[in-house]
Amino acid sequence: MAEASLSRVTPPSMVGVVARKEFTEIIRDGRFKWTAIIMVMLLLTALATGWQKYTAYSEVQAAAQGETNHQWLKQGDKNPHSAAHYGNYAFKQAGPLSFFDNGIEPYTGNLLFMEAHKQNLAISRPANDSSAVSRFGDLNGAMILQVLMPLLIIFLGFTAFSGEKERGTLRQLLSMGVNQRDLLWGKAIGIGGAALLAIVPCIVLGALVLSMLQISHTADNFAARVGLMALIYTGYGLVFLFLTLGVSALSSSPRTSLIALVGFWAFSVFMVPKSAAEISKAVYPSPSWGEFQATMRADQVRGLDGVPTAAKLGKYVRELMKQYNVDSPTKLPLYFPAVRMQKLEEFDHEVFDHHYNGLRDTYMAQRRLQDAFGIMDPLMSLKSLSMGLSGSDLLHHDRYTRSAEEHRRMMVSKMNGYLSKAAVDLNGVSSSSNYMTADEAVFSIVPSFSYTPPTLEEVTKEYGSAFAILAAWVLASIVFAAAAVGRVRKVSA
Amino acid sequence: MLEAIKLKKTYGDFEALKGLDLKINAGDIYCLLGANGAGKSTTINLFLNFIDPSEGQAKVNGLDVTTHPLETKKFLAYIPETVMLYGNLTGLENLAYFAKLGGHNEYSDSDLRNFLKHVGLQDGAVEKRVAAYSKGMRQKVGVAIALAKQAKALLLDEPTSGLDPKASNEFSELLKQLQGGGAAILMATHDLFRAKETGTRIGIMREGRLMQQLSTDEVSHADLERIYLEHMH
Repeated sequence: MAEASLSRVTPPSMVGVVARKEFTEIIRDGRFKWTAIIMVMLLLTALATGWQKYTAYSEVQAAAQGETNHQWLKQGDKNPHSAAHYGNYAFKQAGPLSFFDNGIEPYTGNLLFMEAHKQNLAISRPANDSSAVSRFGDLNGAMILQVLMPLLIIFLGFTAFSGEKERGTLRQLLSMGVNQRDLLWGKAIGIGGAALLAIVPCIVLGALVLSMLQISHTADNFAARVGLMALIYTGYGLVFLFLTLGVSALSSSPRTSLIALVGFWAFSVFMVPKSAAEISKAVYPSPSWGEFQATMRADQVRGLDGVPTAAKLGKYVRELMKQYNVDSPTKLPLYFPAVRMQKLEEFDHEVFDHHYNGLRDTYMAQRRLQDAFGIMDPLMSLKSLSMGLSGSDLLHHDRYTRSAEEHRRMMVSKMNGYLSKAAVDLNGVSSSSNYMTADEAVFSIVPSFSYTPPTLEEVTKEYGSAFAILAAWVLASIVFAAAAVGRVRKVSA
Repeated sequence: MLEAIKLKKTYGDFEALKGLDLKINAGDIYCLLGANGAGKSTTINLFLNFIDPSEGQAKVNGLDVTTHPLETKKFLAYIPETVMLYGNLTGLENLAYFAKLGGHNEYSDSDLRNFLKHVGLQDGAVEKRVAAYSKGMRQKVGVAIALAKQAKALLLDEPTSGLDPKASNEFSELLKQLQGGGAAILMATHDLFRAKETGTRIGIMREGRLMQQLSTDEVSHADLERIYLEHMH
């Protein structure tokens, strides 16, 4: 019977009546005022801190990238290959919403040195030195909403039905002929509205911050990212709201519902993320920095295919001499040391790609396995989506490091390419320029480092499954709450 | 208005209600007397559809409560031993809330105040939060809810229990007013005196069975007490 009444169409006004009463009761409760004040203070502090860090970093990043580019150009006349060794720095762009969710940024570094012969990791804390792909970061807006918003909703809603049962008002309520569906939605709107009251001021302030930052013009689909961010956090809030209402409806007392809900909160916020990180690291072990470097260095020498680099180089030289029909490398119409260095670079590319791609694939596999834990914890899906939309996830970091490596290879290739012409000059066949020495004009053939972070489309594609899992959580929690509230009539007797 | 047809409720091997047949018409105040566990509250819970009958039917205005759970409640008002209200809302806000839930959005603030005034709630109390109300004040708000709901039938579960004699008497007077308005009232009580004074008919229950029905016009206080005690032993 209860289930039948849930499916009956009733005027929306009854939902509004219940919602208004719930809202009024909650905001008159002194506990709500204090909880809301604490929540607002924490959120504002986190957003202000995030904003301060974001603006400071963005300014430093822009200034430093300009300065290092200037240093590259003004490094002084020198051998082009030495210039490639002099190198340059690639600075990572701050994610468009990283002031809200800085994701794995503190653990992955944001500065990468580009030099000849070496592919470096970003400086700071490499991800392989942290606990898998770290799931916990600094105090930031995302963390407050991920950790404290569910707690706020639980505190506002755990008595929604169990409290009415204990006080006896539920019998009074049900005797009025109000159906369970109206009760559920009314209470959901009332409690959700009260929770929003604690969060909306922060959202308004966040919007002001965004307008002050003026990043909306530079980030890809910035408004859509913000909209999706609001959507996923709303979804996450709804999951806890309906779980709270469902558990409250099934519980015989407020104490029971509070224990059950806080237990789930702890499980969701602490146990699963930590366990998932450790399990993912056990299933897809990532090497330590030292181990990674040692293995890569060994492969550079012996070759991935078992053919030593020296042997490969010898073969290449023979092919080159055959191509130019000469019997000695010194007779090549190219400056052989430069050609040799470039070829050694290219042999290394294969090794670098193998190891760095392997490392990236390991991290991606760890992250995807952690995402799969979203089936038992909505926070896992939310975290991935939030970091992705903020531009502070592994996808964005990988794009940055790959772009830096592409830039490094281009820089070395251009310098070696310039140097390779030196033989022509030395032979006095071509121009009189001295290709052995490069100046600012030569250095300027290497453009400044810049890259395009992943688009919103790429992000949504990467995290499609996380979005689907979160949506499934929302749906499942509503179904659970509806089924639980449908049993209220019997429980109340 | 209220009708029980061979109404039975069992919990495992225990029979809480054993085939109750009962009909309460408009203008009746039917008092169910009996010791704890006699089946009085079970009867009320069955009419409210808070529990499902094991056999038989409970009907309100001709509708079976199990097949028409929401429609039948539109005709009902329920006043328990202590009317439970929302402590953070005022008496007026509680009444407005329950009136709207009962489908009555039409009342103005003044109408609602009049209901509360009519049941004897003091003006100063109307705007006070219910957390500060005495039991008697809560019972009055319960009656005001029944009035505002324009209930055709009232289910009262020991509503005067714990009230002082004056408050209890005021409550009885309010019931008579509702009866005069054509409401059918079923009241479970231990109070023989109140049943005789307020009711039109009395049913004595024991161990889930309706042992005897009486018209209050036909028995004296002494006879009622004697008959009741006979059934209890």
